[in-house]
Amino acid sequence: MTETKTVICEVRNVATQYDDVVIHDNLNLKIYAGEVIALVGGSGSGKTTLLRHIVGLTEPSRGEVLLFGENLHRLERLKQQRLMNRFGMLFQQGALFSALSVYDNIAFPLRELKQFNESTIRKLVMHKLALVELEPQHAKLLPAQLSGGMVKRVGLARALALEPELLVLDEPTAGLDPDRSEKFVTLIKQIKQALGLTVLFVTHDLDTLVSLTDRVAVLADKKIVVACSLLELADVAHPFVRNFFQGVSTRLMRA
Amino acid sequence: MSAASFHVDLDERGRKHLRLVGQWSLRALENDFSQLQQILTPFFSDPFIHWDLQGVEQIDTAGAAILWEGWGEKLHSNVTLKPEHVGIFSMLDQLTHPPETKVAFKLHNTLSKSVARLGETFLNFSSHLVDFVQLLGLLGLEFIYLIKRPKDIPWRELSANVYKSGVMALPISALLGFMIGVAMGYLMSKQLRIFGADIFIVNILGLGIIRELGPMLMAVLIAGRSGSAMTAQIGVMRVTEEIDALTTMGISKILRIIMPKVIGLTLVAPFLVLWTSCWGLLGGALSANIELGISFKFFFEYLPQVVMPVNLTLSLIKALLFGFVVTLVACHFGLRIKPNTESLSSSTTSSVVASITGVILIDAGFAILTSGIGV
Repeated sequence: MTETKTVICEVRNVATQYDDVVIHDNLNLKIYAGEVIALVGGSGSGKTTLLRHIVGLTEPSRGEVLLFGENLHRLERLKQQRLMNRFGMLFQQGALFSALSVYDNIAFPLRELKQFNESTIRKLVMHKLALVELEPQHAKLLPAQLSGGMVKRVGLARALALEPELLVLDEPTAGLDPDRSEKFVTLIKQIKQALGLTVLFVTHDLDTLVSLTDRVAVLADKKIVVACSLLELADVAHPFVRNFFQGVSTRLMRA
Repeated sequence: MSAASFHVDLDERGRKHLRLVGQWSLRALENDFSQLQQILTPFFSDPFIHWDLQGVEQIDTAGAAILWEGWGEKLHSNVTLKPEHVGIFSMLDQLTHPPETKVAFKLHNTLSKSVARLGETFLNFSSHLVDFVQLLGLLGLEFIYLIKRPKDIPWRELSANVYKSGVMALPISALLGFMIGVAMGYLMSKQLRIFGADIFIVNILGLGIIRELGPMLMAVLIAGRSGSAMTAQIGVMRVTEEIDALTTMGISKILRIIMPKVIGLTLVAPFLVLWTSCWGLLGGALSANIELGISFKFFFEYLPQVVMPVNLTLSLIKALLFGFVVTLVACHFGLRIKPNTESLSSSTTSSVVASITGVILIDAGFAILTSGIGV
């Protein structure tokens, strides 16, 4: 069944090591177009590090990461820039530019393209704001004036500004109350359907996981021990997975 | 609920019993454990005393730790506990004998410690050097890139930096220059009058301010004013992952954040030096006028005759160099900030100290190299 799908991102034999601490060892992962894949694993198992490798912020000690079939670090600058515009990333703390207003934050990647005039940018920004269900009057606020949930939504709007094919979310619902996080999940689902995205996200929240994912990649023992659908997890014998599945199955039954 | 206390009594066989009562925990606000520990000290060293903790209402880890330390970190047979309190002491027992962990090196010797410290300092310094050279190289690469693609020159950021570290610094640098000029002029006038060499005030102030003081004052000022701000700004951007966010948009942090600061401040530095020196000379001329009766007209007409124009050139070259060094050092320290408040404050401090030290060293080198020119 897998050969018909296009691979958007491939992590090949990646190893990460800081001094004596080995974080990843011989790690492999494939992400297919159009799927929602969650990366789960214990605290400190290197999920965020893997995410940073995938978006090219860091380079693994060994192995390589292919994004849209290319290794970011081997490309020349302009191609690299173009490739990076094909994915959007939402950081754990939002990472909004604190000196810029919400509007300027979302407009930033659009202005960088140098292809649109201000009135077009205005329309695009307003569209993204509406997409993440923020009011137009929020546009002039500064990031420091926003609540945690709003920061995430603005971050999402900024990540979506360039209509990316791949959306990378680092703990999208961490720090939100259950009600807000449910809304955020619904929002991501809607956007996914509207724009036909591929979504890769890290989460600790089982509710988010159950309601959002097609496939789960479990990071344990320094590698991806399994990458399959939630139901298929039941057949995996790995201790972390078994423990993890117990939490998932009760929620699956409810759903 | 009562505070921790104890009383001592003797039984019929003459044995001493120390009975602890009350709440031996931090929850009882009346407790002062340092005082308790002090009072208990003589009993701790008494091997024949019997410790009776059966009257204790409640004991927490803090209270238990005080007793535990007093008992020499083990439970003697002369201690009687309530059964529910046994757990807390056995927990402390496990803490005092932790499972064997691997410790790389343990240096007891003061000599080897100081050698190790020397080595650490050296390694730290060399890591700074490597990073600094790397930053310089990256800047060079970006420069070449910009020559090939002038469309990408970050004009907005550049002008923002010129405004922030140049235009905004005008009032304070004028004030500083003027005050130093006045003070110098006043002191020199007093000395020169003794020898009747009044007219030389123009030479001394002209040469001193234009060649040395102007660039130096400017460098110290921008290191304290703009350099520290740059370090802190870059540091906070690192902490809040704003730099990472930029990178994932395919934007080079060197091009967008470091480069505008370096070029902006380097270009604005000569103008700041001119400005500061002018105010310094004005202040000096005022002092000379008041103290020695030298008119402003004479002062500024005589100035170009005694101070060769090459001094101005030297001063402007120095300004460029100082501006460049101060910004580069500031950015270098900013990029090394780790996500904690301690690192932020220490890096900002080191940034200012290192840039001022660097500037003074360069100035000294410059003075030696150009000792034959213009004087």
